[in-house]
Amino acid sequence: MNSREVCIIGVGMTKLHKKAAVPVDELGRQAVMAAVKDSGISPKEIQSIYIGEMGGLSGSICLGQRICATLGLGGVPMANVESACSSGAIAVHQAWKDVATGRTDISMGIGVQHLSGSRASGTAFAPDANDPEGIQGVTMPGIYAMRAMRYMHEFGATPEDLALVAVKNRRHAMMNPYSSFQNPITVEDVLNSKMISDPLNLLMCCPNADGGAAVIVATKEKARQLGAKLVRIAASEITSGIFTNGFRDMTTMEITYRGSKEAYHMAGLGAEDINMVECHDAFVISEFLYTEAMGFCGHGEGVEFIRKGMADYGGKVVFSPRGGLLSCGHPTGCTGTAQIVEATWHLRGEAGDRQVPDCKAALTHVTGGGVYGLDNAACTIHILTR
Amino acid sequence: MDKNQNNEQQQIVFHPDFFVVPDNGEKPYLIGFSCKKCGKMWFPKLPICPDCWSDELEKKPLGRTGKLYTYTVMNVPQPGLKAPLAVGYIDFPEGVRVGAQIDMPPEKIGEIKIGMELEVVAGVVRQDSNGNKVISYRFIPVC
Ligand SMILES: [Zn+2]
Repeated sequence: MNSREVCIIGVGMTKLHKKAAVPVDELGRQAVMAAVKDSGISPKEIQSIYIGEMGGLSGSICLGQRICATLGLGGVPMANVESACSSGAIAVHQAWKDVATGRTDISMGIGVQHLSGSRASGTAFAPDANDPEGIQGVTMPGIYAMRAMRYMHEFGATPEDLALVAVKNRRHAMMNPYSSFQNPITVEDVLNSKMISDPLNLLMCCPNADGGAAVIVATKEKARQLGAKLVRIAASEITSGIFTNGFRDMTTMEITYRGSKEAYHMAGLGAEDINMVECHDAFVISEFLYTEAMGFCGHGEGVEFIRKGMADYGGKVVFSPRGGLLSCGHPTGCTGTAQIVEATWHLRGEAGDRQVPDCKAALTHVTGGGVYGLDNAACTIHILTR
Repeated sequence: MDKNQNNEQQQIVFHPDFFVVPDNGEKPYLIGFSCKKCGKMWFPKLPICPDCWSDELEKKPLGRTGKLYTYTVMNVPQPGLKAPLAVGYIDFPEGVRVGAQIDMPPEKIGEIKIGMELEVVAGVVRQDSNGNKVISYRFIPVC
């Protein structure tokens, strides 16, 4: 593909709240204002805007226009995009695509979600109740619990192994002022928390959250003019699930294997080049499955990789330096954008106490969507380099 | 069985195309759909074959038992369903995997094991928003 190089020139996000005091459009505005200020451009220079929100939850149509109207950002192409948890990352992908293909020189992607204002607490996300598995009552934690059960059966992982991921990510979150949760937890705390769906305890599942994040992208020339540290989008990859109802291996995350392979190819990099990953750790089992799917270790080797601290500071690659979905909370439509904000800070060396040392390349990854017959409905991967 | 309700208790059969409960008292079974053009087997019924787009799909009764690939016991199922609720994926020799509830009394729920043989039965899987009992396939251990 003939495309221009695209750089990130401005990022901003709100703190991720258990329950935000302001409505969804205000979360979006706070993120946009932070990103514009960070970039040093005039807001009127933004030539197209995309907004990711998990549709229907805010009860708003044209949420992007509602966010942008009173910021004076109207008059440019604007589109609201939805693919469950991938929504925010897809918004950034669309902005990237406009700049990469030469349609615009500066574009913005926004991810936002106000879950506390739109869903009853204590319920779990679930596939559509009209699909053949949804009717049976299965929830998203239930589906990931079944992956975990099979993974433990095949590869000898224990509940204590699963708990390690929750404890590690909370330790990271303690250094992240944007995270919902910052109190330390132990393996015992995790294993003693309420059982949600065997073998997943409450602290092995990501909590709901509210938040907004925004990423402004531009040509390399514009980024140079602004004089900021260059953060390049080396790959922006989105893909969709493939229908199957046969004997698929539920410990092999097919869509992420496929997506990361394509992203590495686009970036001209491999797993060995990546210093940090923000992955879709909605449940602790995800980190085992994704260390493998992204090529940091072989199939079934995630247990050893995580036990030995290879996915932590001082290991091979730092998974979830911001604390992941597990500790930051998961404002669904916002998460993919917030991950890119975090990666940008690490590449610029601005991540404070949680800075990944000498971070040269970062990978962000969100999947999303429970649709019958698909492993995941969507997968979005970005590779950023400095 | 009637398409929408089988008696005055307002029981609704979810997608009667998916499984058969014989009137003569014989045991229920699931129906696979085999593509006449490419031979691929699908469950449940689809309008066309996702692989080759042929709309000639032939009904093929599936065997009554399959092997449990994985499962979980949900303490927080979807609203309106009683916990604890066991669900699992059952692999059939015909090459299809079916996700469904495993009907076990709470005191026996710990006996569920990956690899065990399960058989299909008909049962109430939930109540719909109008309070009607929704009937579909469920699984029980083969005795
Ligand atoms: Zn076919």
